[in-house]
This record gives sequence, C-alpha cells and structure tokens, in this order.
Amino acid sequence: MPVQRAKNPRLVSNENDENSSSTRVTRANSKAAALGVDELAMPSKGLQSKKTGATANPARKRAALGDVSNVAKVESVAEGKKPLGAKAGLVSKAAQPTGIQKKTTTTTTATRTALATKEVNKKVETKRSGSGAIGVQKRKVSGSSSSATIKEETPEEGEPLRKKVHTLEAEKKIKSDVKHEEPPRKESVPPAPEVEEDIEPALPPEVLVLESEDNDDPLMVAEYANEIFEYLRDLECKSVPNPGYMSHQDELEWNTRGILIDWLIEVHTRFHLLPETLFLAVNIIDRFLSAKVVQLDRLQLVGITAMFIASKYEEVLSPHISNFVHVADDGFKESEILSAERFVLSVLNYDLSYPNPMNFLRRISKADSYDIQSRTMGKYLMEISLLDHRFMAHRPSHVAAAAMYLARMILDRGHWDATLEYYAGYTEEEIEPVVHLMIDYLARPIVHEAFFKKYASKKFLKASILTRQWAKKNWRHFGIENPELSLDQIS
Amino acid sequence: MAKPSAFQQLEKLGEGTYATVYKGRNRQTGELVALKEIHLDSEEGTPSTAIREISLMKELKHENILSLVDVIHTENKLMLVSEFMDMDLKKYMDTRGGDRGQLDPATIKSFVYQLLRGIAYCHEKRILHRDLKPQNLLISKHGVLKLADFGLARAFGIPVNTFSAEVVTLWYRAPDVLLGSRTYNTSIDIWSIGCIMAEMFTGRPLFPGTTNEDELKRIFRLLGTPSERTWPGISHLPEYKPQTTVYPAQDLAQVLPQIDPLGIDLLKGMLQLRPEKRISAADALRHAWFYDLPQVRAQAQLLQQQQLHQQAQMARTYGGTVQGNQTGY
Repeated sequence: MPVQRAKNPRLVSNENDENSSSTRVTRANSKAAALGVDELAMPSKGLQSKKTGATANPARKRAALGDVSNVAKVESVAEGKKPLGAKAGLVSKAAQPTGIQKKTTTTTTATRTALATKEVNKKVETKRSGSGAIGVQKRKVSGSSSSATIKEETPEEGEPLRKKVHTLEAEKKIKSDVKHEEPPRKESVPPAPEVEEDIEPALPPEVLVLESEDNDDPLMVAEYANEIFEYLRDLECKSVPNPGYMSHQDELEWNTRGILIDWLIEVHTRFHLLPETLFLAVNIIDRFLSAKVVQLDRLQLVGITAMFIASKYEEVLSPHISNFVHVADDGFKESEILSAERFVLSVLNYDLSYPNPMNFLRRISKADSYDIQSRTMGKYLMEISLLDHRFMAHRPSHVAAAAMYLARMILDRGHWDATLEYYAGYTEEEIEPVVHLMIDYLARPIVHEAFFKKYASKKFLKASILTRQWAKKNWRHFGIENPELSLDQIS
Repeated sequence: MAKPSAFQQLEKLGEGTYATVYKGRNRQTGELVALKEIHLDSEEGTPSTAIREISLMKELKHENILSLVDVIHTENKLMLVSEFMDMDLKKYMDTRGGDRGQLDPATIKSFVYQLLRGIAYCHEKRILHRDLKPQNLLISKHGVLKLADFGLARAFGIPVNTFSAEVVTLWYRAPDVLLGSRTYNTSIDIWSIGCIMAEMFTGRPLFPGTTNEDELKRIFRLLGTPSERTWPGISHLPEYKPQTTVYPAQDLAQVLPQIDPLGIDLLKGMLQLRPEKRISAADALRHAWFYDLPQVRAQAQLLQQQQLHQQAQMARTYGGTVQGNQTGY
C-alpha cells in the first residue's frame, strides 16, 4: 500500500490536466462498481483466473479499472446540477451499492489473471502485495477531494490539444483552413470520384464543387482529395470488425467493452492524443476481439496495448510505454504490453490502414463551411459509435455522415442539401438508421460517464449536455422505445 | 507470417540507423529476397517506423513500389521480407554512370517517370514517403525503378496534420521543411525528386549541405533568397532567420546545361521554394518532357483500361458492402 499512496500524491502535483491522477484514483471505485455487474455474472471465471494472478494485486488492478468509473462519477455529480440525464446515471450507479462491493473483489481477481494467450508473459505477480480492500478505500477518499479541481484546457476548435509545440501548430493549421474557406461558388465540374460515380453517374448540377477553392491551400491537397476519399471509402470495407464478435467471447459482454472504452477515452484525454488515435485504438481492439477470445482480466491489457500501437502509428511523439503502464495503475508490466503489442500486430497482420472517421467528418464539415459548433457536436456524436457497439457494423464514413446530419438537425442548420450529400457520400435516407441509433443512445441513461464528462466541457461546447437535452425532448418523434432502460439493459 | 528459418540469410546489402538489409533466399522456392532486419528497442517495443512501414507497404501495390512479401516478428527481431532488387540508384550511378556518375538522358527520363508514377500512386493513397533519395530507389536489371524504405512514410488526412520536421535526408529536404514547417504535404516528396533528377544528370548531389543552414544557403544560392515578398509567410516559419547574403536566382538552364529545355521546365516546377507552387506528381507525369518516352503512349492506353476495370470492380465491391451494412442493421 505505501507504494501506491506515495505515488498518487506525486501524480497529482505533476499533472494539471483535467484528468488529474487523483481523479483517476477515485475512479477506481466507480469503475469497480461498473465492472462488478459483469463479474457477478461470472463468478466462477473470475475465480479461475485468480490462479495465475497473485492475490496481492487486487488493489492495484481495481484501481486501474476503477479509474474509469470514478471520474465518471465525479462528473456526474458535477453535471447533476444541470438539468440533464446525468442524474439518472448517478442514481443507477448508486442503486447498486452491493454490486460495487462485489465487483471490486471480483474484478481484482479477474484482472490479475493472465491472458489466455500464450504470447503474453505472465511474470506479473511478483510485486503485488497489500490488501486490496484497504487500498481501494483510501483511494476513494483522496480521489473525491481532488477530483473537484478538474480543469479544462483552453478551448480549441473542438479537437483535443496536441502535445507541446504541435498544439499551436495544429491550431494554426486548422484555423488557417477555416480562413481559407470562402463561400462556396459554382465551378465547372471536375471528375467526380469513381465511387460516387457508381452511385450517381454524374455530379448533380446542384452540387457545389468545393475543391477548387483549396487550390491555394496546400494542406487541403486539392489535387488528390477526390482520389484519396475514393480510396478511403474503398478501404473502409476492409477494416470493419465482426459486429457479432461478442458471441464468441466467453468472459466479455458488450457493457464490459463499453467500460473499457470509456476508460480509454480518459487515458486518451490525459495524454493529449489526437482524435485519430482514439478511433484507431478502438478499431484495433474490435478487430482483435473479432479474431481472438480474450479473458476478462486481460481486456484492459488489450485496450492499453491498442492505444499504445495507435499512438505509435498516429502521433508525432507517442507517449513512452511507462505512461501506459502507469495509467493502468501498474496492473501490467512493460514486458507484458510489449509482448501483447507483438501479438496484436501479428493477429491484425500489421494492417493499421483504417480510414479514420475524422477524415470524413472534416470532409463533410467543409461542405458546412467548417462551422465549429456543428463539427464539435458532430465529433461527440461520432464518438458515440466508439462506446455503443451497435454502431460497429456501420462504416466510418456512414457514422460521420450521421453525426454531421444530427448535429445540424439539433443546431437547426437547415436541410441536408445536395452539396452535403455529395461530400458526405450519403443521402438522408441512407443516413437515417444511424441517426436513429444515435438518438437512441442519447435518450437513454448515461452509462459512459467519462465520455459524457469529456464533452460536457466548454472546450467541446457542452456537446454531450446539449445533445442529451435535445434527445430528452425529442425522442418520441423518432420511435425510440423504452428510453428509461440503459444501453446495458437492452444489450 | 513465415518462420525465420524459411529464409536463408546471405550477404549484407546495407545498414541504416534503424535496420540492416541482407540478401536472402527462400529455402522452399530458391527465390532471392531482401531481408530487412529491424533493430528492436527493448524499451519501446516495435518501432513506430516499422509499424508504419509495414502497414503502409501492405497498402501499396504498384510496379514502381517495392513489394513486401512477408513479415517475421520474433521476440528479439523483426524482419521484413521483400522482393530482391539488384541495386539502388546510388550504386547504379556509381557503377553504370559516366565518369562522374551521370546517367544518359533516356535512362534519366525513364527513371524520373517511374519515380513520379510511384509517388503519385502513394499520394493518391494519402501516403507521404518523406525520405526519397537515390539510396532508397531500387533498380532492377531490367531498368525498373521501385520506391523502397517507407520507414519515414506516413498517411495523412485532409487537411494535412502537423508532422515532425525531422524528415528526409538533408540533401533532399525541401526548403519549407528546412525552415521548420510542420504542415508540409505531398510537395515534400516532389522537391526530393527534383534534387534526384538533377543529380542523375550531373552525377553530383544538387545541394550537398553539411548543416541545416548550409543546406538552405546552397538552395538559396541557386534559386534565389526568398523574402516575405516572394514567399508570403516565410518569416513566420519556426527556423526562419533573415539571410545575411541575398542571392539572386540563377538560370537553371545555365547551371545545368546537360538538361534540355523541357527537362529544365519540369525541374523548375519541382524545385519551387514555396511548397504550394511545386508541381504535383500527377501533373508532372503529364509534362511534355515525357512525351517522347516510349512507355508513355502505351501506358496511357493501358492505364485507361486499368482504370475502367478498377471502376467496374469498385462499383461491385462498393455496392455490395452498402447493401451488407443495411441488412446488418
């Protein structure tokens, strides 16, 4: 225990971020609670896994998992003042106090267990010692006090800040893009992307051709934009995970996946990573889980490894591995992450060419004059697809189109005209089912609290709050059934 | 993924900071291969350069791009298996070139054309190579040129993300990158191609600078020192320093008398100081300098057919998936 304690304070002082370490600690409790449900359902498995893991670990592991939920909790408390559904989330959590207890215990054990896969080293046990329960208690306490301090970063244009110098650069770049944007004007029709041609043989006359205004802006790569998007649309088909993979997972449930990703969203924010990195990480997780059966106690390792790999692929400077170990509360050793990295990469055949939905969102935003509000809200709506497994069957471009469509609907930005349709690549009718899913998610009680909190901030224009308010008012018009049931309850 | 034992390791072909390349032989087929053994850092695991290189090379299937055959990943080494090529352009110039290493105009035109084809293909697939230089261009005994070494390559989005300025070997690095720009795009590769083209004509690197500043000075001495007037925004670039000597631009045709006027025109397009003024690979391929290239006409026809075929294929795939999604829903 002493080790842990010492660590936390240090962290707190070191990090000014919104996700201070203390917060993280707090989370442990709530997370444990959340996970607990799962675990309860499968007590025997949890026990089995114990064999491998040392008894000692429980505390730590929990903390890692717990992180997620705690933050969320804090958030929800904060949000509670506001009119939203946050309360609902809180209530539901609170309503299962016993669950929490149990969960904690089970979780701990489970986490510790070695991954089923041989590749992963199981040298784990050595360090861990100490009573899990005590640890948990302490953390909670410290966490709750510190969590109040959460601060948001300077508002940017809806993207998480990038690290260090790059941040400024990035901002400039994006801003300059916006500046360069002039009111769309009609131009002679350039060759339309082939893919689109298939759908509609010629570029409809009412579509405004926006590419030519980018000719002076090298960042828009105007000369290749059509080819590139055509290519990305083609590539999408190849990186879709198996949307039914949970049926072959013995120990996992969709809600466990949700908890994992909610936690990863926090990790992602804390590390100031690019939005692309988060989307790629989740794609890696889902494609890996489509191919391999993973034990519950190894799920977090898969998640953190996916984030590690995605950072290496996307970031200019990816965080050092020790940060990943740390953020998982030392639940895994570096060597475990490294061998998991090798295994994940080989299972995916090193294929990380995932057409990131951010590309499509920006593309559509272009046809929306780069309106910051609709893009920021669109970004939130698009991220729903990461947490809610029901989106998995839909292509990134489809989700991006739905997100922009719904954002514009909520913000009352006019109808989905031919230009939007062209740049999104989807008609209103094609988008409708995905929009429906998004509203369905929004109308239900909050289950992913870290995610909710992230977008409740000013930096993200309170997108999560606004969209939920809207959904509460309007769900009836969209035929949503039983919105009082949570996503977990209907899955 | 094959086992390491599937390939017999032969002589060393080259060594870089991040990998060593060996000649190898497929034990089953007897086929020659290149084995690129990547040094694994025990701390950070698989290098990001390797992750990107493998993932990107798997996307790139083109006759002017080295094809990746296999990947072997064991606990302590990572090996990329690719097709074997006889030599790189550097060695080709040393062994086949004239007294100074210069090549004949017909060969140069063919190489520049193939180089542009390869890079245009990358750019259309939103991939920047970011390290074009003679050592990374491989030449087969039939005169086929292929781009290799995608260790610094990466995929970009639109708008292009900010990237590291630590890319491209100094002599082939574009002035905007030398000035610290992180928002470069496809034009970064075009500058390198311009440098390589000139080098093939003279047998000497065009801008063999020793430091960042020296490199910039050499570039400015040939192309003229830019100012805020000729390059708006230049003074805001991170590494910009007012130049003590202001050089006028020289006439490329006089400095490089080996190159015919059309070739000079293309070269000028590639060696534009301002990235946004640089010609794109797609446009460069359409440049009149290539009109007398035998393969251009034939390829033009072939390409057209290929495109039609691809369109038809895409139509099928695309239509199929959309339907699949909808029913899945």
